[in-house]
Amino acid sequence: MTQPQRDRLAAAQAELLRALLAGGDVPAGFDAERVRVERRALLAKRRGIVEMIRPDVAAELGERFRPLFDAYAAAHPKEVGTRFRDDANRFADWAVARGELAPPRRRRWWRRAT
Amino acid sequence: MEKLGVGIGWRPEIDLTVERLPGVDFVEVVAENLHVGHLPESVLLLRERGVPVLPHAVSLSLGGAEPVDAQRVAHLGALAEALDAPLVSDHVCFVRAGGLDSGHLMPLPRTRDALDVLVANVKAAQQDLPVPLALENVAALLDWPDGELTEGQFLAELVDRTDCHLLVDVANLYANARNLGTDVARFLDEIPLERLAYVHVAGGEEHQGVYHDTHAHAVLPEVLDVLAQLRARVDPPGVLLERDDDYPADAELAGELAAIRAVLG
Repeated sequence: MTQPQRDRLAAAQAELLRALLAGGDVPAGFDAERVRVERRALLAKRRGIVEMIRPDVAAELGERFRPLFDAYAAAHPKEVGTRFRDDANRFADWAVARGELAPPRRRRWWRRAT
Repeated sequence: MEKLGVGIGWRPEIDLTVERLPGVDFVEVVAENLHVGHLPESVLLLRERGVPVLPHAVSLSLGGAEPVDAQRVAHLGALAEALDAPLVSDHVCFVRAGGLDSGHLMPLPRTRDALDVLVANVKAAQQDLPVPLALENVAALLDWPDGELTEGQFLAELVDRTDCHLLVDVANLYANARNLGTDVARFLDEIPLERLAYVHVAGGEEHQGVYHDTHAHAVLPEVLDVLAQLRARVDPPGVLLERDDDYPADAELAGELAAIRAVLG
């Protein structure tokens, strides 16, 4: 049985991911500078994927995309079960709710696009 | 191991490039991006030509503390059968922990605890897979404290206890040499090279003293040098170039494949 090992490993891995994704303290024994580098790398990867999935949102936000996404990500670490498409759409909703992004135009079936 | 030759990672953005590049002996697909039953036309075309297509997974989190997700394993196995693949692969890493998803391949602590859990998870996955499983060393930006084994020893014991194959990524090995001080020669001496399934080569860049395995830059000569050090010990069954972003012109990818072939001799 590997349950004792699993429990110890679970605690250590969760502590590291909290530090990297959710603003947790640097776990004992880790190089704080490298944790910072890893945190930035993971954030950049997540930001890049969201930008790829919702280029419309990134384009509309322009230079505000990066700081806004980083603020969103700090408050909303990606949870298990969240697909990247959901992550991208939630960021867009969050930006709309904060008045940073125009709400999606409601398309009325009787009005032709001009 | 079955001889694979020189290959490249198939990605939807470079499907036509992969189809027309000369001398592509095999390809790899990212398992999570494909659906059995809706395989891309380009992948089916390569299969029709007889090109082996190997599913490469990134989400099993085999080194995670939680038991393996059977659905992810089932998907990987179904894909292997749909593609008639000789083997599948994932990484020696964890992806998820404590309800959070890193979205990345995170390094494991090189401890007995982590190895015991990894071995149990790998065995569980192997039971449900129709083909052999190869496991890849990952690139790390940070190191866990209190390592009890070198990376080579960790992988050697993993192979010994699970009979898995190895997928050695020489760019990841270079990254760990640069970032963590891993001894390349010692790593290559410690791993069981007779269990080598194939090799990954990829590009990256150095940023403020840390090497980032980006798969979006050219392959560094230093990485080809690690490939040469491996080649001096063994004739690898296959070597595959991975490129995942900032796709260059066909000629540049062809040049990187040629550089790999030159090292293999």
